[in-house]
Amino acid sequence: MANRRAIVKRRKAVRNTKKITRTMQLIATARFQAAMNRAIATRPYTDRLAELVADLSGVAGDYVHPLMEVHGSAKKAAIVILTSNRGFCGGYNVNVLKVAAGRLAELAEDEIETDIYMVGSKGTRAFAHQGRDFRESYTHFGEKPEFAQVEPFAQDLIERFVTGEISAVYVAYMHFYSPGKQAPEVFRLLPLTAPGGPEASGSKADYEIRPSAQEILDQLLPASVRMRLFQSFNDAVVSEQIARMAAMKAATEAAEDMIKNLTQEYNRARQSQITMELLDIVGGADALA
Amino acid sequence: MAETHFGTVTQVIGSTLDAQFPEDRLPAIYNALRVPVERVVLGETVTEELWCEVAQHLGGGQVRAISLGSTDGLARGAAIEDTGAPVSVPVGEETLGRVFNMVGETIDGLGPVGTDARRSIHQESPRLSDLSSKTELFETGIKVIDLLCPLVRGGKGGLFGGAGVGKTVIIQELIARLARFHSGYSCFAGVGERTREGNDLWLEMQDAKIGDTGKSVIDQTVMVFGQMNEPPGARLRVALSALTMAEHFRDQTGADTLLFVDNIFRFSQAGSEVSALLGRMPSAVGYQPTLGTEMGELQERITSTKSGAVTSIQAIYVPADDYTDPAPATAFTHLDSTVNLERSIAEKGIYPAVDPLASSSRIVAPEFLGERHYRVARRVQQILQRYKDLQDIIAILGVEELSEEDKILVNRARRIERFLSQAFMVAEQFTGFPGTYVKREDTIRSFEELCDGKWDHLPEQAFMYVSTIEDAARRAEEL
Repeated sequence: MANRRAIVKRRKAVRNTKKITRTMQLIATARFQAAMNRAIATRPYTDRLAELVADLSGVAGDYVHPLMEVHGSAKKAAIVILTSNRGFCGGYNVNVLKVAAGRLAELAEDEIETDIYMVGSKGTRAFAHQGRDFRESYTHFGEKPEFAQVEPFAQDLIERFVTGEISAVYVAYMHFYSPGKQAPEVFRLLPLTAPGGPEASGSKADYEIRPSAQEILDQLLPASVRMRLFQSFNDAVVSEQIARMAAMKAATEAAEDMIKNLTQEYNRARQSQITMELLDIVGGADALA
Repeated sequence: MAETHFGTVTQVIGSTLDAQFPEDRLPAIYNALRVPVERVVLGETVTEELWCEVAQHLGGGQVRAISLGSTDGLARGAAIEDTGAPVSVPVGEETLGRVFNMVGETIDGLGPVGTDARRSIHQESPRLSDLSSKTELFETGIKVIDLLCPLVRGGKGGLFGGAGVGKTVIIQELIARLARFHSGYSCFAGVGERTREGNDLWLEMQDAKIGDTGKSVIDQTVMVFGQMNEPPGARLRVALSALTMAEHFRDQTGADTLLFVDNIFRFSQAGSEVSALLGRMPSAVGYQPTLGTEMGELQERITSTKSGAVTSIQAIYVPADDYTDPAPATAFTHLDSTVNLERSIAEKGIYPAVDPLASSSRIVAPEFLGERHYRVARRVQQILQRYKDLQDIIAILGVEELSEEDKILVNRARRIERFLSQAFMVAEQFTGFPGTYVKREDTIRSFEELCDGKWDHLPEQAFMYVSTIEDAARRAEEL
């Protein structure tokens, strides 16, 4: 039987690991609540804003705002990839990076060069290891992204788009549907998808616009872009916490299983050693008798 | 032969017996005793000869002897003859192609062996000054063995493993590989294993041809069996009988001789049974107190001398997969190369289930294998060791939490692990793959490229049961 000391030592190590993963599971649960509240809080605003934009652009007639304009001249796009700063969240980062890499490959096929804006140190490290170049990489967004932090970032993207430097902006992130479902997705942030008119939004409101639809859209559209980006940050953070919760739960259970097995192995080793010693003693005593 | 005397059987305890001899005519220790025994076989009474070996002098003309056959039908008071010499077995070219039992009687039903030359099974081990000091690798064409625990020509190799991990298959594979391309003689000792396996091996050897000479392997082989059905005395001595025949080839003909023993643990086990019957106090784990001595006496005789080389390959059963058990532990020290078979690897479906980290060979050193082979072997072990270290983390946190470097390493290790599998010639009818012989040069190159990460892109499945790395690439295309 294996060395008993070694089993005890290993079991201790696994126990410590289990303590850590269990704690992290609890922390993730607490943070998940807070993050979900934030994500849900901003969602009605984001959704309503999108509706409003759809309604108004329907009313605005032929006017095409620069943010909605598809200009294919620049053979260049940008992709924002939202990953986490911390690990221990299972396949979260890997899955986001996978869809991002898929989109990058598609773009490369169309001979479009793509600037990578990487958010989160985990994604940065993974892509650096794959030998990809970034335009920017950020690690300051953290677990409570502030609108004030996201705004300048969005502004930068808008400016580059409007000046025609890049023809599209994509965002790859983990979309949060519900606490039970999240999925890695890539959506196109710019040019803004042309809404299908007032019917599409289901709103039948009759707008009377002053001074003009164009002026209002000039205000609304950038706000909508900023808000959508902000919403994806919020989604990403919730999804991250959910992923961490699940991963840490699985890890805790795996550690428990391992402890159980090690305990069994230890008991067996102990028992067989006792049996062996007994046999030796009894055998010896018998032989002397 | 020396003068013979008669004594009387005074006590029979299982497979040991006591006999009374005249005080001044005591048979010497190791002398063979002979007693006719009447047995009823299928309704007919037959008289068979029972051989015994003197083990102890009890005083007052009493001797205690180990029976080398069944004591059924033996009665107290029977007249027992001291043959005046130890048990001897026939030796020489005439023994080739024949099958013997432990006392040198043929058991293949082809009549008595046509030679009078005999040799006592108890011999001194060769003198220190006669030992040969050559060290040369013995290529087997089995990747994992050639790479990590190469056998030594004229040395001893041990196959350790628990029950049912494939020891016998590997030893039969080695017979098939080595004996087939071997110019000298081979001896096979079946010690306490399944009788059926002995029979299979015998038939297989008749079919197998040596190179393209048209001769069967059996024509260059002597087989000696003392299998599970035999009493402990026979199992204890059968290895010596086979070894004696091998020694004769070594000393008289100078030919390279192969000695296969399956299974040396049964030798220790039989020794422990005999020891208990002889009334010795059991030592650790109930083994005989003389365990180390017995093993030493046997192993020290299996050596290469200046007159010829004996290369031996021994299967060693490991009780309850516990390598610290005294029986396998005493065998360990005598070996040049140890091949450890591991249950967890067999469970993954990887055969031969050689544990690449626990197996080793004395000659894994740059001065024997060359710098390149040594380096590749160590790199393979490093990668696998790292994978093993990471196993707990993977089990708890999942492979996602590893660093990028470790992820690559784990992938590579999993490929190496699978690439260590190989199709066997003797297992062809079971696996459906023809057995493959991989030259050492190809083995080294394949593993070197694997370690360099040249083949990380192939699917893991492509590495199972292929020969060289190019073969794996071909398999990947098929998949």
